[in-house]
Amino acid sequence: MEKDLFTFIVGGKAGEGVKKAGQAAASLFVDLGRHVFQADEYESLIKGGHNFSTVTTGIRQVTGTYLKADFVACLDKRSYELHKDHLAPGGILVYNSDALGPGNWKGAGLPLTSSAKKFPNPELKMGLGAVAALVAALGLERSDIMKLVKAEYARDLESNLLFALAVHELASPYIGKKFKLGRGEKKRPMLFGNQAITLGAYLGGLDIYFAYPMTPSSSALHYIAGKARELGVTVIHPESEIAVMNMAIGAAFTGARSMIGTAGGGFGLMVEALSMAGMAEAPVLALLSSRVGPSTGAATLHEQSDLKFALGAGHGEFPRIVASPGTVKEALFLSAELLDLAWKFQVPAILLTEKHLSESTMTLDLDPSEAAWSGPAMHAGGEYKRYRITDDGVTPLLFPPTKELNKWTSHMCDEVGLVSEDPGMITQMHEKFIRKGNAIREKLQTMHVVNTFGNEGPVIMTYGSTTMAVVEALRFSGRKARVVQPVYLEPFPEWAMGCQADERPIVVEQSSTGLFAKLVEDRLGVGPEAVIKKYDGRPFDPEELALSLKEVL
Amino acid sequence: MADDLTLYHENTWCPGCGNFGLFNALKKAILTLEKKGLPRQKLIQTTGIGCHGKMSDYLALSGFATLHGRALAVAQGIKLANPELKIFSSVGDGDTIGEGLEHLIFAAKRNADITALVHNNGVYALTTGQVTPMSERGARGPSTPMGNPEDPLNALALMLEAGATFVARGYAGKVEHLADLIVRAIEHEGFSFVEILQPCVSFNNTYEKYNKSTEVMQEPPATYDDAVRAVKRRDKLPLGVFYEVKKKPYHLDVQGDRNPAMQRIPRDERIARVRKLLEI
Repeated sequence: MEKDLFTFIVGGKAGEGVKKAGQAAASLFVDLGRHVFQADEYESLIKGGHNFSTVTTGIRQVTGTYLKADFVACLDKRSYELHKDHLAPGGILVYNSDALGPGNWKGAGLPLTSSAKKFPNPELKMGLGAVAALVAALGLERSDIMKLVKAEYARDLESNLLFALAVHELASPYIGKKFKLGRGEKKRPMLFGNQAITLGAYLGGLDIYFAYPMTPSSSALHYIAGKARELGVTVIHPESEIAVMNMAIGAAFTGARSMIGTAGGGFGLMVEALSMAGMAEAPVLALLSSRVGPSTGAATLHEQSDLKFALGAGHGEFPRIVASPGTVKEALFLSAELLDLAWKFQVPAILLTEKHLSESTMTLDLDPSEAAWSGPAMHAGGEYKRYRITDDGVTPLLFPPTKELNKWTSHMCDEVGLVSEDPGMITQMHEKFIRKGNAIREKLQTMHVVNTFGNEGPVIMTYGSTTMAVVEALRFSGRKARVVQPVYLEPFPEWAMGCQADERPIVVEQSSTGLFAKLVEDRLGVGPEAVIKKYDGRPFDPEELALSLKEVL
Repeated sequence: MADDLTLYHENTWCPGCGNFGLFNALKKAILTLEKKGLPRQKLIQTTGIGCHGKMSDYLALSGFATLHGRALAVAQGIKLANPELKIFSSVGDGDTIGEGLEHLIFAAKRNADITALVHNNGVYALTTGQVTPMSERGARGPSTPMGNPEDPLNALALMLEAGATFVARGYAGKVEHLADLIVRAIEHEGFSFVEILQPCVSFNNTYEKYNKSTEVMQEPPATYDDAVRAVKRRDKLPLGVFYEVKKKPYHLDVQGDRNPAMQRIPRDERIARVRKLLEI
């Protein structure tokens, strides 16, 4: 059967190499010149919890994984119970017969555990077994296995190779050459969201990254820490999120472009310092990647419940920029753009995203030279006052060491930066911030800040990674709609939403109370026709969303 | 004192405040450091919130007036981003041993190359005299009308344990001695901690007590263990450097000689590195 869209699911215990198997399958598809979208779901455990990885591939760009899979690999019994019903018509299910034992199971049983026993690290090999079976089902050759194992399973190379070939041989009689995948036009790079976000910031000028580990932002810290030397970036993991934000603000004082990464709980600890960044006019870029809240919530699952928090965090009134990318590619360029805007306007900028984008992998066409470059206005010489009152609210910068006095402060102050409680001065400082807010809005009016997909039919408004699910659902169902995705959420781009005054949109979001719907209503003055919400910790499945959309369109 | 290190801002410390002695000692130290080759442009001050924080309005040095308890975190960010700068943090005892204790301990632990000058007046003076982590048991304040129910921390002992590589105590009433300590602390490569006994004339007037109980050490303690014993003395309050040791500072460990702010990687080079990394 020749397939255009093809979905692979592998499920098993944490520690069985499930995520790795998803990555290996994804690179197999990428080698065929195809697009992929890979998403992992896991519990907050190192060993034992249920993990699964889903990869959907197509000749065209794919913007979500499908729940109904053509190939389901179950490494343990729980995976079988959870995923046996995720099989698409005509699909193949393979399971680890050693883990399930005798019984009336559907699909092809492969004795993975016993096959792996003779090798070192047998547990870690389970995922590789799933990939070897996939290779057999796709009718690929032994040489393809060798290439794949060399590229993806280089540790214990020899035993991995022997094991993979053995599984391939076991599986071939049952499922061999069941599917044929067409080749795409070219091999593309494949990036996960947090990787794209840190690389984007790097292209925009990032010099120093501060973070305290917190899912789902940690993979940004791990990625950039792993590449720190190669890229020439300093990466610091200090004692707490409070330290993170304060250090990043200190770094900005020197002119080094700094960035922090966190999730909702960590951002909560940073809020006092965020407000200082507002007062001191310290440029800092914050990656805020949401998971299920409130509080600890569900650490490794997906939700869009921090929208209001990102827009409103911090005591007092100060201008800020908040934007949320729809795809991994957009995340990369947005990250560079936000760093630039943070420095142009000397404000905190928040890149708001979610677990689903942070940790999902996508193929993309990329020209890194298109990324923005952060170039702040610099003091031209002569007498310097850090907080000189200007028309656009932006005072040019100066970095130490200088013979001019350069005082940054968390206080209401005079133009030099010394504490002032003078009523006139406090009024002037507030108005400086208001003018700066207006200047940011004017700047955004010259930029591309809203994405629109489709040009006929009813209006669907959504934001962040949910955009991908909406677009994928419409593609899947063949329905027509105009999808409007504001990339920038503060300042909110009312001017670019392209809606008629009386047009009531359908809103799609992953929050239980409809935070985005409320924002849209507040900013556009039009309430939604319907709100499609999902708040079970899982991203929308395009097929499921297509059904929900059918009910309201 | 009208001099080129004092700014135009009105001084609002109470007459007789220990901060005056401290301010004079700090200015002397800066002038000495300049004579020894450290230009004041390269000297950066961060401050917290409290009476000590007013220093940033009075002292003509570049710097950052930060939040309550966060001056050391901001200072470390500055140091990492531009190691060519010398950073000292003027902080309070409630400020940095209460609200910001985590940053103090970790700055010592990682041997961050910054200096903490702790104005220890044993009281939250700016908010009308509540007790701090350095206040004696039984001390009364508006939040502890029945007397402080807690024992004070020994910050010097804490710093010795945490890994500070320079630990000293000075007294705002001994300006020359204090100025010398500040010079040595700032010159020290690594984390230097100076507890500065600072009488608060309004809420905790300790001049008489400190004039009697402080004693400049003639000989520094010979070993780490001697230093621990010396900082724990209760009969006398020894002044001077208790402990000083050479150890590679944090910024050199994490980034070698690289200076993120002064040696920024150009845009084209970044594009080339990303292309190489992603094989595109």
